[in-house]
Amino acid sequence: MRNSWPASISNRPTMLYEKSLRSGQNIDFDGNVVVLGDVNPGAEIIASGHILVMGSLRGLVHAGATGEEGATVTALHFAPTQLRIASHITRPPDGADNEQKPAETARIRNDEVVIEKYQAPR
Amino acid sequence: MGRVIVITSGKGGVGKTTTTANVGTALAMLGKKIVMVDTDIGLRNLDVVMGLENRIVYDIVDAVRGNCRLKQALIKDKRLENLFLLPAAQTKDKTAISTEQMVELCEKLKEEFDFVVIDCPAGIEHGFKNAIAGAEQAVVVTTPEVSAVRDADRIIGLLEAAGIADPTLIINRIRTNMVRSGDMMSVDDILDILAINLLGIVPDDDAIVISTNRGEPTVLDDNSRPGQAFRNIARRINGEEVPLMSLDEKQGFFGRLKHMLKAD
Repeated sequence: MRNSWPASISNRPTMLYEKSLRSGQNIDFDGNVVVLGDVNPGAEIIASGHILVMGSLRGLVHAGATGEEGATVTALHFAPTQLRIASHITRPPDGADNEQKPAETARIRNDEVVIEKYQAPR
Repeated sequence: MGRVIVITSGKGGVGKTTTTANVGTALAMLGKKIVMVDTDIGLRNLDVVMGLENRIVYDIVDAVRGNCRLKQALIKDKRLENLFLLPAAQTKDKTAISTEQMVELCEKLKEEFDFVVIDCPAGIEHGFKNAIAGAEQAVVVTTPEVSAVRDADRIIGLLEAAGIADPTLIINRIRTNMVRSGDMMSVDDILDILAINLLGIVPDDDAIVISTNRGEPTVLDDNSRPGQAFRNIARRINGEEVPLMSLDEKQGFFGRLKHMLKAD
């Protein structure tokens, strides 16, 4: 039986922030970040691991900030002003509408950032 | 013991001074003993909007530095005898007072008045910190514009960090026709982001421009719709439950004709 765990992102410490993040507030964390609330425009989350927003993501997020390309960003309502994963920086298309879609996840696939419907991994 | 309420926003020009003047006057019309404090040192406006600028002899800086007794700096309103103004200084700037001096000032004013309504300057620096220093309660004013709502969100975060819990919101200058056509943020859009309790909504109206230029708060005019909105807000601050007034513009035949002729 092998007892050594691969140093994957999910083994990093995880911070649980139990409120919404308002404009001008930020979280800088070496690990994963879960927000029980919204991330408003003007708020920032920079994490070395995954970022999960159990609410509306309307601010700036940087997952995998130390270079981890497997990091993902998930939100119940996905509408960040800017999205960064590892060294990739993206933004929503100009004129993107604010219609309600179900939860979405952003990840890097084939060297570009894609946003897909959230699905629990099997 | 009175309550100290600060009227703040972050963004400039959304209606803090107008709100302070009208809510202060409306609370005095309800019989309360009110003092309005202008903390926008260097850019004072509350005295102009109240029509009291000719009566200023001493100001908040004089009072706080002991150049005069506090009572000498308070100006009694020319219409209501239970309404007072503590004006800001115009020839100084916001570093002229410290937060400790503001706290002490508010403690003294609380003993004499039912409500101390503080007009906060725009921004998040020294002026803002002074204005909130002695306050127990905050009212955040915003307009239905994206930039104003961003700044209001910032301010709410700073208020919560300063220990002023449960700020309430006034949405000012709403134009219902623009909300209906989707060109202006709705009340729900704003509350979705700011997530604080709504204190009131004030419609956009020419009456405000006239009233602030004349130095006559619009709450004194029975026919003014923003005046009605501010009177309702004052009643809510005083503990009454008042339903939100309908903001649909009432248009008779001539109103609609005028509207058609105005539109290009």
